[in-house]
Amino acid sequence: MTFHTIVCIKAVVAQAPRGRIVRSTANNRFNPFDLPALETALQLKAHYGGSVTVLSMGPPTGRVILAEALAMGADRAVLASDPALAGADTLATSTTLAAAIRKLAPYHLVLYGTRTADSDTGQVGPQTAVALDLPLVTGVHAFRPADNHLQVERTMDHLVESFEIDFPAALTVRPDICPPRDIELAGLAQAFDDQAVETLGLADLDLTPEEIGETGSPTRVVSLKPCKRERQCQFLEGEPAAITDQLIQQWTEKGLLD
Amino acid sequence: MDKLLADKHIAVRRSVRTFCERELRPIAAEIDQEARFPWDIVEKMAGLGYFGIQVPRTMDGAGLDAVSYAIIIEEISRVCAAMGLCVTVHNSVAVYPLMAFGTDRQKERWVRPMARGEKIGAFCLTEPNAGSDAGAVSATAIADGDDYILNANKVFVTNGGVADICLIFARTDPAAGRKGISVVVAERGLPGFVVGDLENLCGMRANPVSSIRLYDCRVPRDHLIGRAGQGLQIGMAALDTGRMGIAAQAVGIAQGALEEAVQYARQRRTFGTPIENHQAVQMMIADMATQIQAARLMVYRAAELKDKNAPFGQESAMAKLFASEIACQVTDAAVQIHGGYGYSKAYAVERFYRDARVTRIYEGTSEVHKMVIARSVLQSMG
Repeated sequence: MTFHTIVCIKAVVAQAPRGRIVRSTANNRFNPFDLPALETALQLKAHYGGSVTVLSMGPPTGRVILAEALAMGADRAVLASDPALAGADTLATSTTLAAAIRKLAPYHLVLYGTRTADSDTGQVGPQTAVALDLPLVTGVHAFRPADNHLQVERTMDHLVESFEIDFPAALTVRPDICPPRDIELAGLAQAFDDQAVETLGLADLDLTPEEIGETGSPTRVVSLKPCKRERQCQFLEGEPAAITDQLIQQWTEKGLLD
Repeated sequence: MDKLLADKHIAVRRSVRTFCERELRPIAAEIDQEARFPWDIVEKMAGLGYFGIQVPRTMDGAGLDAVSYAIIIEEISRVCAAMGLCVTVHNSVAVYPLMAFGTDRQKERWVRPMARGEKIGAFCLTEPNAGSDAGAVSATAIADGDDYILNANKVFVTNGGVADICLIFARTDPAAGRKGISVVVAERGLPGFVVGDLENLCGMRANPVSSIRLYDCRVPRDHLIGRAGQGLQIGMAALDTGRMGIAAQAVGIAQGALEEAVQYARQRRTFGTPIENHQAVQMMIADMATQIQAARLMVYRAAELKDKNAPFGQESAMAKLFASEIACQVTDAAVQIHGGYGYSKAYAVERFYRDARVTRIYEGTSEVHKMVIARSVLQSMG
């Protein structure tokens, strides 16, 4: 089997002036955290050969970022899109992506960015890996391809952890893993004029309506409001010993010291 | 607005904007002041296909349409008009006539490296006593055996200081008047090919505009583009496309100035409030945005007609006339909103203001455009 990487990407909302979200092609943007994941996949393709598939879930307006991924060098673009998928939380999204990834098997790697720029949970990558029963390394910031495995690194608690992973596996990659390439204009012309974004609907995914969309979502966003930080900066003046006494007194009054 | 554009156009705009914000924005003021052509950025642009926007992919171009071309020029100019100029002139009045009138052999020889951005093109029509009056060129290309011997003094050549492939408008038949003018390619480096000093210009300073002089410069006869005597026809066809590019450039300059003005109006406070809340400033912003929108639609309309292979010369001329005029008004208003700071090189609007001015002059002055448009309107009404 030739090397096959699936990269999960999201069309995020570019701007929401005064908190109002309008989902349109022009207001969509390739989630910037997913671009390094695609770049990683393209570099692995340059090493191993094979192909790269990009996968996204969302409304049809997301097609444009899939075409951008084709323009960057992905071989196949798939959009899981169905009105029944609307209102999905991260679990229902992961269930849907896992179903789509099963359809795209066989594969060696499934890649994600660490999070999205618009909802920022960081849950979809790990949850999808669990749904597919794949070994997972999160927050990967370096990789080295070897013959039948991949060496990857991540940093936890100021320690660099090195892993050797067999295929198939899933990774979430940190933005600094590699800078994404620029899109060539010829790539855009080819992606939009000659290549197609495939669509998978509910019927193609072998999922029941209970598992997906709003029904399949155990969490709901009740409200969203900007948080106000009321920090105050106070300068203490005087001799160092007196400042120390004041500081201890204030900390004690605030309950920070016994 | 968005519905007028296909998804492809939105993606083209986004990719060019990302590149320009990252690569051009940080150096735009500096290359203007130093009058420096940024070769490193130009090489990156070349690698991404900016120098063969509408050349087919089989000829190493990007294979995009005219609407994409307009968007690309608009986006580059929104950040750095001088580089927008370099790209539009190369693509429109240098590459396009070679594609449209060149033989397969000529395209292979010149268009392919130009599309890859390995060679930069220039359009050499203007002379000290010929420009708007294109029929008055005095350069000559006299047949001599298998060659032409070129003698020319071409001035205000955009990209002149860096151009490798120059389209020279010259008289192959000095006795035949307007019908004796032809287009002959002269390559940099030939004996007798001299690049003059760079012009010290008011705006567009990062573009190496220069004179190009040819002294008994000998080129083979197969450097003739199209037929002998077809020069003015080729020139007019090139300018129809070129004007669309200049119009797109003017829209980009105006858009860049508007964004700077709005950003400034939000920060600057007078009489206890940001100046964006003053009605006088709001009136200016409304006029600026409306003018830009109208000009942009005119440019896209001309481009769309070109993509449909419909006549677009009148629309292109109208778009160029209108966009260049409003670019001057919009950049002027942007300076006004900035007050004294707008007159300082510390703020980008000062550069936009200088860059906008020439769009009313080059590739046909506003006055010549009015002549062209009036002729077209009068003819169409019988």
